[in-house]
Amino acid sequence: MAVASIAHGSAHGDGADQLYVETRELRLQGFLLFLVSDCVLFSSFIFAYLYLRNSGQGWPPPGIKRLDVAFAAWNSVLLFGSGATMHYALENWKHGNFMKYMWMLIFTIILGAGFLGGQAYEYTHLIVAEHVSWWGSGIFGASFFTLTGMHGFHVFVGVCYLTVLLLQSAAGVYTGQKYFGITAGTLYWHFVDVIWVVLFSIFYLI
Amino acid sequence: MNVDFAVLERTGAVAGGIIVGVVAFYALYKDWSTPGVENHVFKLMLLLLGFGAILAILAGINVLGNFPKVA
Amino acid sequence: MSIESAQMTHAGGIAGHIHPEPQGFVRRYVFSIDHKIIGIQYIITAFVFFMLSGLLAETIRTQLLNANGGFVSPETYNEVYSVHGSAMVWLVVIPLLTGGFGNLIFPLQIGARDVAFPWLNMLSFWIFPVAGLMLFSSFLMGAPTAGWTEYPPVSLQGSAGTSMWAAAIFLVGVSSTLTGINFVVTLVKMRAPGMTFTRMPLFCWGQFATAPLLMIATTALAAALAALFMERVFGVPFYDPTKGGSPVLWQHMFWFYSHPAVYIMILPAFGIISEVLPTFARKPIFGYKLIAFSSMAIALAGFMVWAHHMFTSGLAPYLQLPFMILTFAIGIPTGIKIFSWTATLWGGKIHLTSAMLFAIGFIALFTCGGITGIFLAAVPYDLDVHGTYFVVAHFHYVLVGGSLMGVFAGMYYWFPKMSGRLLNETLGKIHFWLFFIGFNGTFLPMHWLGIEGMPRWVATYDPQFEFWNRFASVSSYVMGIGILVFFVNVLWSIRAGKKSGPNPWNGRTLEWMIPSPPHYYNFKNIPTVYGLPYDFSHPLPYTGLEEELTDAPPALAAGAH
Repeated sequence: MAVASIAHGSAHGDGADQLYVETRELRLQGFLLFLVSDCVLFSSFIFAYLYLRNSGQGWPPPGIKRLDVAFAAWNSVLLFGSGATMHYALENWKHGNFMKYMWMLIFTIILGAGFLGGQAYEYTHLIVAEHVSWWGSGIFGASFFTLTGMHGFHVFVGVCYLTVLLLQSAAGVYTGQKYFGITAGTLYWHFVDVIWVVLFSIFYLI
Repeated sequence: MNVDFAVLERTGAVAGGIIVGVVAFYALYKDWSTPGVENHVFKLMLLLLGFGAILAILAGINVLGNFPKVA
Repeated sequence: MSIESAQMTHAGGIAGHIHPEPQGFVRRYVFSIDHKIIGIQYIITAFVFFMLSGLLAETIRTQLLNANGGFVSPETYNEVYSVHGSAMVWLVVIPLLTGGFGNLIFPLQIGARDVAFPWLNMLSFWIFPVAGLMLFSSFLMGAPTAGWTEYPPVSLQGSAGTSMWAAAIFLVGVSSTLTGINFVVTLVKMRAPGMTFTRMPLFCWGQFATAPLLMIATTALAAALAALFMERVFGVPFYDPTKGGSPVLWQHMFWFYSHPAVYIMILPAFGIISEVLPTFARKPIFGYKLIAFSSMAIALAGFMVWAHHMFTSGLAPYLQLPFMILTFAIGIPTGIKIFSWTATLWGGKIHLTSAMLFAIGFIALFTCGGITGIFLAAVPYDLDVHGTYFVVAHFHYVLVGGSLMGVFAGMYYWFPKMSGRLLNETLGKIHFWLFFIGFNGTFLPMHWLGIEGMPRWVATYDPQFEFWNRFASVSSYVMGIGILVFFVNVLWSIRAGKKSGPNPWNGRTLEWMIPSPPHYYNFKNIPTVYGLPYDFSHPLPYTGLEEELTDAPPALAAGAH
C-alpha cells in the first residue's frame, strides 16, 4: 500500500485500481510467507550440517582440505554486489528512471550469473582436483554440496526470473503502480543473498 | 601462480566488499524511515547484506577463516 | 477495465469482489477454484484414504488376535502398520481438518468470498490425491517397514517403497505448506468489515493457530525427507553412522516437524468443538479469549518440545529436564480449554444431537489422552514405557478420540452446509455409540498392556497378553462397524436426507446466515460485524445480510464485470 502510493502519487480513484492495490497486498504477504517457509527449509539443512559437523570427528573430517576462503570471499562479493544493484533497480523503478532500472537489472543478472560461474569453477576444482564428491566424501560432501547446491539452484532460478523480468519490462508489462513482479523479484534476490551470508560464514569462516 | 591468484581474489574481495558495504549501509540510511512491511523487510535485508560485505572484507584481509593449512 | 485487472479478477480473491461462476462440470467440480468445492474434494478424498487405512488397521488387529499371529507374515505386518500410521496422519487427519473443514468453513465464517489464492488452493488439493496414491502404491514395490516415523538406519535398509514413501510425504508437505500460506493471508487480509481478530469465531482461531504450523513445521519435515531420499537414492550420507552420519539427526528433524504436527491435527478439532458446544448448549462460550489465545500458546510451545520423543535416544540429561518441563507446561493451555468447554456446558440448555454427542465424547477422550501425555512427558515414566503399547494407547486417544471425534462432530454439524441436507440423527447416534464403545474397548486395554511391557511394532507377542489383545481386536471390529454406519448415513442422507434449510441448528456464525449449500460467491453483500457470534439471546451482531435468503441478485463489487 505504502510503496504504491508513495511512488506514483494517488490512484485514479476508480475501482480497478483499488482492486489492484488489494491484490498486491495479498500477493506481497503470500510471497513473504513463502520466503519464510523457504528460510525454514534452509535452516533445517543448516541445522543438519551443524549437527553433523559437531558429531565429534573434527572439521573438516580427516582426509579433506579446508575450503578456499579467498576465492569464496571474492565470489561472495559478486553476489552481495548483485544484491546492491537489485536494490537500486527497484529504487530507480520507483522514481521512474526506466533506463537506469534496466541497466541495474542487467548488472544484477550479470553478477548473479558470475556467482554461478564461480560456484561451477569451485565445484569443478573440488571434484576434479581434490576428489570430493556429493556421495563419496562422507558428511562433508553431503552437507556442502547439498546446501550450496540448493542455494545455487535458488540463484539459478533467480537469474532466470530476473531475465524474464527484464524481457517483460522491455515489453512494457509493468506500468505505474503495477509492478509487483519487480518487488517480488527484489525480495527473492535479497533473500538469496542473505542466505549466502549465512552459508558463507558457516562453511568458510568458522 | 596459485599465490598470485589468491592475492588477486583477496584484493577483489576487500575492494568489492568495501563498495558493497558502503552502498548497503548508505541505502539503509536513506531508506531508514520508509513505512510498510516490504520496506521493513528490505531494510533487514540491507543490514544483513552490509554484514555480509563486512564478513567478506574480514575474510579478504585474513582475519576470519584464517586457519593453519591442514595436509 | 484494463486487461491486467481482468486477469486479476481470475487470479486474486478479494473479499469484496465477485468472480464469474465457471460453467461446465470440469471447471465447477473437478478443477474447481471454489473453496467450498475444494473443501468437499478434500473431505471425500481423505475419507477414501481413511477407509483404506482403516482396513489396514483392522488387518493389524486381526493379526494380533492370536499371540503367534498368523494372519499375515511379519514382513507384511511391518508394512501394514507403517502405511497405516503414515496414511492416517498425512492423508486423513491433517487434510480433513485443514484442507477439508478449513477450506470449507472458515472463509464463510470470516465473511470472505474465497481464500486469498484460489488457484494455489486448487494446486494444493491436486497434489494431495497424487501423493496419497504414491504412498499406497509403495505396497507394490515393498512398502516402508519402520513405522510412520521411519527411523534410520532401518528406513535406510528398507525396500524401494521407502523412497516412494519419502517422496509421497514430501508432496503432501508441499500441499500443506501452500495451504498454510493461503490460510494465513486469507485470515489476516480478508476478514469482513468489523470482524476484528477478537470477534472471529473460534474455528477460525483454530485455523489461524494451525496455518503457521503448516507453513513452518512442514518445511522442516521436507528437509528431513529430502535428505532421506537423497541418502537412499544417491547414497549421500546424512543418517548412516558408518559414513559419519547420525541417525539421531533424523529424529531431531522429524520430531521438530512432527511434534507441531500433532497440534496441526488437534487445534482445528479444538476449533470445531468450540463451535459445536455453544450452539447446542445455547450458551455463550466460556472464556472466548482464553480459548483463542491458548491455541496460539500451544502452537508456539509446540516448537519447543520435540525432544520429549527422544528421551531414550541418548539425549543429555541436562536437555531432558527442560523438555520435560516445557511439555508439562503445554498441559496448562490445554487444561484451560477443557475447563472452558466444561464451563460452557454448565447450566446450558443441552441438545444431545449427534454432533453434540461427538463433541462431549471428544472432551472425555481427549482429556484421557492428554493426561497420558503428561505421563509420557515425565522422563522416568517415559523411559519405562517408551516403545510399548502405552504410547500406542496415548496417541490413539488424542488422534482418534480427539481429532477424529472432532472430525465427526464437524461432519454432523456442517454436513447441512455442504449438501443442504441433514445427516440422519438415529444412524448418527448408532454411529456414535458403536464408535465410542468400540474405541474404548480397543485402546483402553492397551494402557495396561503397555505398562505390563508389551512392545509396539511386533507381529507376535507373549501369550500372557492374549486376552486383552483379543478384547481389543473384537472391539476394533465394533468401531469399524460404527464407521460403516457413518458411511451408510452419508451416502443415504446425501440423496434422501431431510432438507436442512439455511440454519438447521440455529447457529450464529456467518456461515449459517446464507443458503445451504451457499452460492458460488458466498455472500450477496459482504456483511459488517459488530460483535462476537456467541452471545445467544442478543440480536445477531451483523448487518448487510437482509438479502441473503431472498432472490435478490448479488451486489457487484467495484471493478467487477
